[in-house]
Amino acid sequence: MPLTKVRTLRSLIGFLLIIVSVFSIPLSASAAPLKIAYSDWPGWIAWEIGIRKGWFQEAGVDVEFLWFDYVPSMDAYVSGNVDAVCMTNGDALVTGATGKPSVGILINDFSNGNDMVVAAPTIRTMADLKGRKVGLEMGFVPHLLFLTGLEKAGLSEADVEIVNTPTNETPQVLASGAVSAIAAWQPNSGQALKALNGSHPIFTSADAPGIIYDLLYVSAESLEKRRADWLKVVEVWYRIVDFIRDDANLDEALAILASRVKVSPQEYEPFLKGTYILSLKEALERWKPGSGLGSVYGSTEYVDAFNLKYGVYSESQPAAKYLDPSLTEEVAKMRGM
Amino acid sequence: MRSILSGWFKVREDLPPGRRTLLTVLSFLIPIGLWCFVSYTPWIWHPEIKLQISAEREGVTTVYVAGDRLSREFFPEFVAAVRAENDTIRAARDSGSVADTSARSARRRNLKILRQLAPVGLAHGWMTRDSSTDDAAIYRLWRDLATGARVATRPALTAENLEIVRDNWAILERHSPTFAYGQLPTEPLLKLVPQGVPANPVYLPAPHEVLAAGWHDFTHQPEDGSPSMGDRVATSIRIIFLGFVISCAVGVPLGILCGTFDTFSRLFEPFIDFFRYLPAPTFSTLLVAIFLAHDAPKIALVFVGTFFQMVLVVAKTTRLLDRSLLEAAQTLGARPRQLISRVVVPGILPDLYNDLRILLGWAWTWLVIAELIGVKTGLTEFIETQGRFRNFDRVFPVIILIGIIGFTTDQILAWLRGVFFPWTGHGGPASRAVARGLVWLPSTIIESARDRAEAMHNRASSP
Repeated sequence: MPLTKVRTLRSLIGFLLIIVSVFSIPLSASAAPLKIAYSDWPGWIAWEIGIRKGWFQEAGVDVEFLWFDYVPSMDAYVSGNVDAVCMTNGDALVTGATGKPSVGILINDFSNGNDMVVAAPTIRTMADLKGRKVGLEMGFVPHLLFLTGLEKAGLSEADVEIVNTPTNETPQVLASGAVSAIAAWQPNSGQALKALNGSHPIFTSADAPGIIYDLLYVSAESLEKRRADWLKVVEVWYRIVDFIRDDANLDEALAILASRVKVSPQEYEPFLKGTYILSLKEALERWKPGSGLGSVYGSTEYVDAFNLKYGVYSESQPAAKYLDPSLTEEVAKMRGM
Repeated sequence: MRSILSGWFKVREDLPPGRRTLLTVLSFLIPIGLWCFVSYTPWIWHPEIKLQISAEREGVTTVYVAGDRLSREFFPEFVAAVRAENDTIRAARDSGSVADTSARSARRRNLKILRQLAPVGLAHGWMTRDSSTDDAAIYRLWRDLATGARVATRPALTAENLEIVRDNWAILERHSPTFAYGQLPTEPLLKLVPQGVPANPVYLPAPHEVLAAGWHDFTHQPEDGSPSMGDRVATSIRIIFLGFVISCAVGVPLGILCGTFDTFSRLFEPFIDFFRYLPAPTFSTLLVAIFLAHDAPKIALVFVGTFFQMVLVVAKTTRLLDRSLLEAAQTLGARPRQLISRVVVPGILPDLYNDLRILLGWAWTWLVIAELIGVKTGLTEFIETQGRFRNFDRVFPVIILIGIIGFTTDQILAWLRGVFFPWTGHGGPASRAVARGLVWLPSTIIESARDRAEAMHNRASSP
C-alpha cells in the first residue's frame, strides 16, 4: 500500500508538470516584431487606427504595440523590453540622461491645449496657487508645463508644494480635495475636469505652444539594424495622418480613438483640437533646425536648459543626438514632395 | 408564535437545519436589500443629478454625456449656460443677423445637437447601443417626437425641450425630410436643455444598472478588439494557476523538509520569515525588468506573494503531526526517507490540502496587483480602466465575478476534501459515495496488478 501511494504521488507530480508545460507554451515568444510602447496621449492613440485597419501588415512590417501608462512605458524602454516608445521631446532627454538614450524619428504632434493645469473652482489664476498643494508627476512633462506656467505668473517652484502623483490618478486626487490643482494631459485632464464639477484649466499647452512635441523614439541599436522596417512604420503613420485629417472620416476615427481610452466619441472630439497632429508637410517645417519653439530642435534645447535649471539631470543633453529627421524626409521624397 | 421566536440564542449549540439555511440566505439578502433601499428610495441621499439628456457648451472642452453625474449645485449652472446659448441664437434670429461660422463646422455642430436625442431613443429601446450613432434613425426620432408620432416617457421631455424639438424639426424639415449630412441646415439649431434625475454618487450604482452593465459586458464581444470577458477570466485564472502551482511545486516539499528536519528548518526558515515581510508589490518593477513585460512577471509576483507564506505554513502543519505515529514507525524500523514518504506525507495530506485551499485565496489577492504590472491584463485591467473612467456599474459585476469564482472554487475544494480524505470525517454522504466510487476502480486495478507482480516474483524466485 505505501508503495502505491509513492507511485500515485509521483504520477501526480508528473501530471502537474504536464499541466504547467501545457500552460506555459504561449509564454515563449517566437518571432521578433518591432515592439513599440504607447500610452494614452491623443497623438499616440492615433496609432490605433493603423493597428485596427491592418495597415502595418499591408506595409509588410511586423510590429507589436504595447499599451502602457506613460511613465511605465518609458521604464519598459529603459529596461530594454521594447524597441521604441512614444515620448515627449522633454521626457526623451530625461530618459536619456538618467536611463537610456533614444532617437526621435517621427513627430506625431505638438500639444495645443491638451496638457493642462486644472484647478479647483476657487483658484482663478496660476498666481492663486501660492502656498497651495499641486498634484503632478514629478520630473516629467506635466512638471515642465506647470513650472513654465508658474514662471509666467512670476512665481517659482518654492512658492507651491508639489505632491508627486501618477498622472492617471490625478482626477481622483483633485476630486478628493487633497490638492488645489493638478497637471495632466488628456484624457486624464478631461477626467479631472469632470470629476470635480466647476474645476477649470488655468494654464494649458496652448499658452506655450511648441513647448511639448510628441515623437516616436527608437533605440539607436534597433534603428541601425532595422532601418527599413522603421521607414515603413513612418510611412504607415502618414497614412494615418491623412485619414484623420480628412473630415469625412471624423466619426470613424473618433470611434476608434475613443474606444482605446474607453470614453465616448463625443467626449473625445475636443481632444483633437488640443493635440495638433502634423501633416507630413508641417512636420518637415518643424524638423528644420532653429532656435525657436517652432522647431523641434529649438524646443528640445529649451527643455534641456529648463531641466538643467531645475536639476532634473545634471549634464546638458545635445538635441541633435536625440533627433533624426532622415526617415521623415525619405517618406516625403517617396511621396514626391 | 413562541416557538418561532424561541431558541435562536443558545450558547454553543447548532441551530436546526431549516433555520441555518434561512440565515444563510438572509446573510446574502440583507446587504442586497440595503443596497436596493438606498438606491431606489429617492429621498434618501441622492446628492447628484444623473444626466438623461446632455448638451455641449461652446468653448468648453469638458463634454458631459448622458449618464454622467453632476453635483446638485453645479447642475443649474450647466443648464443656465445652455439656455444662455439658446437665447443668443434666438436673439440672432430675431435680429436677422447671420452667424459667420463655416458651413462645415456649422453642420458638425448641428449634427451633435441631433445626437443629443440618442440617449432618449436608447432608453426607450427605439435604438440599440450599436445603432445609437445611426444619424438617419436619430433624424427620424426628431421627426416622430416633433409630430407626436412617438412620445418619450422615460425620461419624458420637458415642455421646454419639446418645444425646442418642434422648433428644430420645423427647420430640419424645410431642408430635408430624411437624413443627409450635406442637407443639414447651416443656421444654428437650438440645443436641448440638459435633463436629469437625482442619483447617488457614481461609486454606488443601482442594482439594475449593475446587472444591465454586467449582462452587456459578459455577453458582447467588445468592438475595439480588446479581449472578451471570457478571455479575461481565462487569462486571470491562468496566471493565478501557474503562479500557485509553481509556488506549490517548490514550497510544499521545502515546507515538509523544514517541518521534518531541524537542519532545514534552521537553514531556511529564518530567512524566509524575514523575506515574507517584504511586500510582494515592491518587487513589481524588478520582476518586469527580469522577466520582460508579458505574463511571466505576473506569475512571478503571485509566486513571491504565496511562496514564503506557504513554506512556513506547511512546515508548521508538518510539525503538528502526531509524534506517536513517527515513533511507532521508527519502532518498526523505518528509515528517515521512509518516514517522510510513508508517514509524514500521508499523515499531513488532509491538513496540507486545507492549507493550500487557504493559500489559494491569498493568491487571488496577489493576482489583482500582478495584473497591473507591465502590460495590464485580465479582469484587473478591465476593473482598472473602467474604474479610472468611473464606470463603476461595469466594475462591480467583475468584482462580484471574482468573488463568485473564488467562493465556488473554495466550496468545491472543501467538498472534494471529503472525497479525497473520507477518514477525516468532513464529508457528507454524497462525497463519501463519490470517494468510494473513485477508490473502487484504481484499487481494483492496483490489487490485480500487485497479485500478478507477486505471482511473477514467486515464479522468478522459485528455481
